[in-house]
Amino acid sequence: MYGAKGKIDLAFEYQSQVAVLRPSIHSRRANLTVKFQDLYGFTVEGNVDDVNVMNEVREKVRQQGRVWWALEASKGANWYLHTVIGQGNALKSSLKFSALANALTLKKIIRKGIPPVLRPKVWFSLSGAAKKKSTVPDSYYDDLTKAVEGKVTPATRQIDHDLPRTFPGHPWLDTPEGHAALRRVLVVYSFRDSDVGYCQGLNYVAALLLLVMKTEEEAFWMLAVLLENVLVSDCYTNNLSGCHVEQRVFKDLLSKKCPRIASHLESLEFDVSLVTTEWFLCLFSKSLPSETTLRVWDVIFYEGAQVMFNVALAIFKMKEDELLLTHHVGEVINILQRTTHHLFDPDDLLTVAFDKIGSMTTNTISKQRKKQEPEVMKELDERIRRLESFKMEDK
Amino acid sequence: MATIGHNNLNAKLVLLGDMGAGKSSLVLRFVKGQFLEFQESTIGAAFFSQTLAVNDATVKFEIWDTAGQERYHSLAPMYYRGAAAAIIVYDITTPDSFTRAKKWVQELQKQGNPNMVMALAGNKADLEDKRQVTADEARVYAEENGLFFMETSAKTAANVNDIFYEIAKRLPRAQPAQNPAGMVLVDRPAEGSRAAASCCS
Repeated sequence: MYGAKGKIDLAFEYQSQVAVLRPSIHSRRANLTVKFQDLYGFTVEGNVDDVNVMNEVREKVRQQGRVWWALEASKGANWYLHTVIGQGNALKSSLKFSALANALTLKKIIRKGIPPVLRPKVWFSLSGAAKKKSTVPDSYYDDLTKAVEGKVTPATRQIDHDLPRTFPGHPWLDTPEGHAALRRVLVVYSFRDSDVGYCQGLNYVAALLLLVMKTEEEAFWMLAVLLENVLVSDCYTNNLSGCHVEQRVFKDLLSKKCPRIASHLESLEFDVSLVTTEWFLCLFSKSLPSETTLRVWDVIFYEGAQVMFNVALAIFKMKEDELLLTHHVGEVINILQRTTHHLFDPDDLLTVAFDKIGSMTTNTISKQRKKQEPEVMKELDERIRRLESFKMEDK
Repeated sequence: MATIGHNNLNAKLVLLGDMGAGKSSLVLRFVKGQFLEFQESTIGAAFFSQTLAVNDATVKFEIWDTAGQERYHSLAPMYYRGAAAAIIVYDITTPDSFTRAKKWVQELQKQGNPNMVMALAGNKADLEDKRQVTADEARVYAEENGLFFMETSAKTAANVNDIFYEIAKRLPRAQPAQNPAGMVLVDRPAEGSRAAASCCS
């Protein structure tokens, strides 16, 4: 797209091979770019095949809805809340068994997707947001909103700056009403946690939470549980140290799980963080189509932040053959961007993420993080000291 | 034209500067000829490439457009490592962004590739009535620090292509690594700022 010549040649070769196999009318149709709106109102550009995929996805979403309704009918409403084992020893063994069965079913069907209508309710309960909210008075969000109204801080200035720059053109987010709602969520959060304040990237995350949760207050609590419980700490604070840790863990995982890709990219002197930093900080919301992003979030909110590693690894894994043919950094980036932007079928991604990557337990990941933390801190400290020493020299 | 290997140069270029100074807008204008009033905020960095013909050679810029918020600065070394050129962008209506630009210059002087071609861009030059940083002030600073300076407007496209062309012209023709250290084009900055003066006046 941005004129990396090698890449264009490669794409052309692929297309000409395909054209032999298909009537030319199809390749012409496939090259036609159309704009359309996806399930969450985002304008998407794609070819006719992409439109077909989107329609299939809509149908799959409907089917998955029927699966969830059937489960409610057989197991009772809110069955998915009764999956916690070991709380209260007095539980009868039959109840324990049913909780275990529910937990297994739940993990499986969450990986298959939560229907958009049920998302607010299921996310709110399973992520821990409901529990977090229940620890404070009901009026917490409203009170905080009122208390911070009119206050100006560096964070609020940056938030104001980013409001029109958050998914510009979205039919609701990019309206005065949308801006006001997003502003309140981000501003209130910046006061709740002054270490985070406002970090660019959260604007996209909060915007998507608003679209899913529908109410500001619930979006706020989802943001809170995400930053305080789901993600590693300090992903968004002063020097993004948590994010640096995740990037190092990811690089190690890539070498282990996709050694050929890792060594090829290394030979090109391509640091994968150049691309993956944005994936992690925005939780893929700037890279993947909306429904695919939210399918990833479905699993993150139930299983935890380590899911992001599965997903990021899967994106590389899916394009292994193409990536191994690259000669330039630009080609690598174009492949990854083209891939993420066109992953309209979430199952294509998630099947690879969970079936082809091999298991990574929370425990293993935690150990990896622990291992990387001191290195990251050392590196960041050294950088600060170097920058400080410039100032000293100037004086 | 320019099929001989050494006439084709690949150059990594990084844009640095305060949040909202217009880094992404400059790149969008240069790469696609477009301007958006509200450009999505950049997270981490965004990558673009564009090829220019300069005399009988081509220069392919691999552009890293970085995020401006201060806490993202800890990521910056990854983007400027090995860069042949940098554009440090500030917003002429915001003195803070000029202060921030100076800090970037300082960091690059100490940490960046010693042969790096550095340009200082005073962006949003179309907002003359809101100007708070004078061109003279920036020009003097640029001259003192061996940068070339231009005022640009991503909105009107003024000087946008020019700044990239000027960088392309100044890039050392051989691979940066093979250059003897210190082979920087010492007298060029003054020349560049004269050129800039004529473009902006």
